[in-house]
Amino acid sequence: MAATRRLQKELTQMRQNGIKSFRDIQVDESNMLLWQGLIVPDSPPYNRGAFKIEIVFPAEYPFKPPRITFKTKIYHPNIDEKGQVCLPIISAENWKPATRTDQVINALVALVNDPEPEHPLRGDLAEEYTKDRKKFLKSAEEYTKKHGEKRPADP
Amino acid sequence: MSDAQNPSFSQLQVTITSAKLKDVGGGWFASKPDPYVELSVDGQPPRKTEVVKKTLTPTWNEHFTVLVTPYSKLELSVFNHFNLKTDVLMGRLHLDLYPVLRENSGKLTNLELKKDLQLNVKNVQVRAGDLQLVLDGMNVNMEHYQGHFQHMANGTAASAGTPERSRQHVNGEVSRGQGDASTPTSQQNGPSSNMSTPNTRHTEQSGARSRASRPAPSPPSADLSSQASSQAPPLPSRSGAAAAAAAGGAAAASNSPQSSSRQQGKPPSAGQSSQQNPHPAGPPPDASDTSNTTPQNGPTQPGQEPLPPGWETRIDPHGRAYYVDHTTRTTTWERPQPLPPGWERRVDPRGRVYYVDHNTRTTTWQRPTVDTVRNYEQWQQYRTQHQSAAMQQYQQRFLWQTNAVAADDPLGQLPPGWEKREQNGRVYFVNHNTRTTQWEDPRTQGSAVNDEPRSGATAEGSAVNEEPLPEGWEMRYTAEGVRYFVDHNTRTTTFQDPRSGATAKGPKGAYGVPIAYERSFRWKLGQFRYLCQSNALPSHVKISVSRQTVFEDSFHQIMRLQPFDLRRRLYIIFRGEEGLDYGGIAREWFFMLSHEVLNPMYCLFEYASKNNYSLQINPASSVNPDHLMYFRFIGRFIAMALYHGKFIDNGFTLPFYKQMLSKKLTMKDLESVDPEFYNSLQFIKENDIDELDMELYFCADFEVLGKVTTVDLKEDGSNIRVTEENKDEYILLMVNWRFQRGVEEQTKAFLDGFNDVVPLQWLQYFDERELELMLCGMQEFDINDWQRNTIYRHYARNSKQVQWFWQYVKELDNEKRARLLQFVTGTCRLPVGGFAELMGSNGPQRFCIEKVGKETWLPRSHTCFNRLDLPPYKSYEQLVEKLNYAIEETEGFGQE
Repeated sequence: MAATRRLQKELTQMRQNGIKSFRDIQVDESNMLLWQGLIVPDSPPYNRGAFKIEIVFPAEYPFKPPRITFKTKIYHPNIDEKGQVCLPIISAENWKPATRTDQVINALVALVNDPEPEHPLRGDLAEEYTKDRKKFLKSAEEYTKKHGEKRPADP
Repeated sequence: MSDAQNPSFSQLQVTITSAKLKDVGGGWFASKPDPYVELSVDGQPPRKTEVVKKTLTPTWNEHFTVLVTPYSKLELSVFNHFNLKTDVLMGRLHLDLYPVLRENSGKLTNLELKKDLQLNVKNVQVRAGDLQLVLDGMNVNMEHYQGHFQHMANGTAASAGTPERSRQHVNGEVSRGQGDASTPTSQQNGPSSNMSTPNTRHTEQSGARSRASRPAPSPPSADLSSQASSQAPPLPSRSGAAAAAAAGGAAAASNSPQSSSRQQGKPPSAGQSSQQNPHPAGPPPDASDTSNTTPQNGPTQPGQEPLPPGWETRIDPHGRAYYVDHTTRTTTWERPQPLPPGWERRVDPRGRVYYVDHNTRTTTWQRPTVDTVRNYEQWQQYRTQHQSAAMQQYQQRFLWQTNAVAADDPLGQLPPGWEKREQNGRVYFVNHNTRTTQWEDPRTQGSAVNDEPRSGATAEGSAVNEEPLPEGWEMRYTAEGVRYFVDHNTRTTTFQDPRSGATAKGPKGAYGVPIAYERSFRWKLGQFRYLCQSNALPSHVKISVSRQTVFEDSFHQIMRLQPFDLRRRLYIIFRGEEGLDYGGIAREWFFMLSHEVLNPMYCLFEYASKNNYSLQINPASSVNPDHLMYFRFIGRFIAMALYHGKFIDNGFTLPFYKQMLSKKLTMKDLESVDPEFYNSLQFIKENDIDELDMELYFCADFEVLGKVTTVDLKEDGSNIRVTEENKDEYILLMVNWRFQRGVEEQTKAFLDGFNDVVPLQWLQYFDERELELMLCGMQEFDINDWQRNTIYRHYARNSKQVQWFWQYVKELDNEKRARLLQFVTGTCRLPVGGFAELMGSNGPQRFCIEKVGKETWLPRSHTCFNRLDLPPYKSYEQLVEKLNYAIEETEGFGQE
């Protein structure tokens, strides 16, 4: 299992090192190609909750990039209603087989904490974010409290 | 009685026995005629007997089984057959079936008839001899067909027939005397009170009949697979493989090889055969006695058509009406409708009900109604229109422009002994050496004679352009018009042009490229055509298909024939539209069938990627258990296209062509079919992987239909780590594996099938791009469209190099333009919408010219982005030279 071997190694390293903003990594040992975990952002307004994500690795990993979906609803210009996220590091053009999953996660956490309204998936939210930051923050915070997962206790 | 409204079809066997002919038409050129007979029923396309040579008393004894109604008209025409001109009518007779049936009480058993043939000579009908025929096998109850006049009075007279005929039926009606006074009235009331537009209904029905329709198993949006699944299963007469195959193809979509689920999902259907049409409402008891097969019908609401026999209306406790079918013991909420004309209900050995369409000789599980038949027709029409754009483009493809510069034949002189003739605007060629004729131009089809580089050059002109032959050599033509070379020094002959053979580094042609390169494709094509011609077999091979089931029909016939039979001249027949195949029908067949067999819906082939519509073998094809048989069949079919010089609709990926040529696949070949995979390999190649810790081993994973398999790329590969030192081997193995994974068996089956018909060695001189040109043909490129839809990076529209580029393009001939397009986009084919709709690996991607590198570099291309990297050359001549090198070289050279 070529992909499994690599993923096993990445997973072990990630668990050893621990990423503060990515917790509860759950992987079924019989299917290494599917990971689940909890994004725990530290910037407002998203620091009022946590967000479940799913990472799906293709059988051809690391020759092809993984796909990430948010399972928890989030009010964010770069993440759409279906939980799809546009992350340059795993796009077809930029993908490198040397890219590791912890780098992908870090890029994702950075994007959650610091939205990029220039490349939005949700134009309405991007517009609100640029034009009326205050309103955006308020809505996003309320949304996070309502839909977000419980934040795990600090390790 | 009411059967007259919907006269049902019966089989009738017509035997055309013999004729005695009189020459009244004014001479058949002294010699005796070659007569044959055409038989047409109600204006349907005719069936023909064989031609009998040189006689005025021909005997055919040929049987034809035709579908007729008691009101059918047969037309029998005797023609004199000519090879080179239109056949001449010698006499004709019309036979109305109805009076014959009446005379024989509806029963025709070995009834011998001798009828006069008539011919119109100078506006006078002259007796032109007589024709003997035998009618057999028809048996109808004439009592059902008394009321024809009534039927026509109700608004279908227009489609019913001639005045004489209706007069007969007036008589029939009057003399009937069944003492059933109420019937005519109720009959008249029936249809006319049926406010659901009796007129349009009947028009539709007759339309359906004449257009040879099929029921609509699927709504207009339905895909091909559902069509296959609804057709295939109930075909007891066809071999199991057919049904399994079609079902297997559909299985990918539905996974239910038996479409009985479709049937079960439907409400139960009526148990009514088209033999028994609805009775008028409320017939008196004695009326129903006249037809002993009609059970009692339930009450009928006014304004509705009567129920078919065996049906009953009941009211449930809630007061809702429902319908009981006593034949199948089922119920339904929907009121049953009679079957459309020409349809019959049957029960298969397993007790399942299916429906036979005698109009098209197809079957389906689904009960047809007039509406579904109409829907299907609309869908068919839509599909035809949709395809017509693609078909139109396909019709314009060519390999060599035979009629390019019409005025002065650009191909030069015909070979000795050949003559070009024209008849009715169609050009054909006479070979006086062999006393044969053909439609194909011997200069383009059969030989390497057509070696002139560019259009406009006459034979003399090209002789000047062409490099002279070596000392002591002479060029000659065989009787077949194939060019060969005599070496008087050694007294030997060869088909190999001594100039191109020896001149890999020979003199340069007009573009500074060796002449060998410039001309090689034409030369190779000539060699290939010569091989085809000299291995051709006499006579022809008939392939008869129905448009609706072109895939299955072709599969069976091609696999049943011996491979060598497929090298005979093709005689393709689309059932129901008989016409002589002079090449046009074969061309259409190649188009249609390639469209079908390569359709990704059948899961045998898939698009290379979401934006690359070239085809490759689908690793998941094994969902169809017979897939290898199908690949073998497709291999044969593709070989036939090359052998007979026909094009297919949609082409394969360049790596696939390379596999046909058993050429080594390189990493670069991956770029157009799997850019992500390519980029990753490229990354590994370019970076020091020892530093990157990628945890790669000599093994690879692959997923088909949800199942992941791991393969060792070499022995014990999963324990050998990839390092900077061994990574080149890894990349090599990976590229090979990537192209083979999941498709090895299929590729082999395809190549075996191909090799059955055309030995793969015959292709050895071609490269993959030439193979694509041969198989798909070229099309005219609209340079304005090309220029309009080109974008530039680091160049401007008015940059010197850009202007030179377009000047260069304008000066190229079509083959070179096709090759330039292949070089940049990976295919010589354009989308139907032209350059504006070119696709790259990430969606629409227009042709792009980017300034890259230095003037010493060669141009490069990125096929997944349709991009040409054009260095800033210093002069037009330099640009031309470099571009020519790039597009003429084949083995990935100039691309990386």
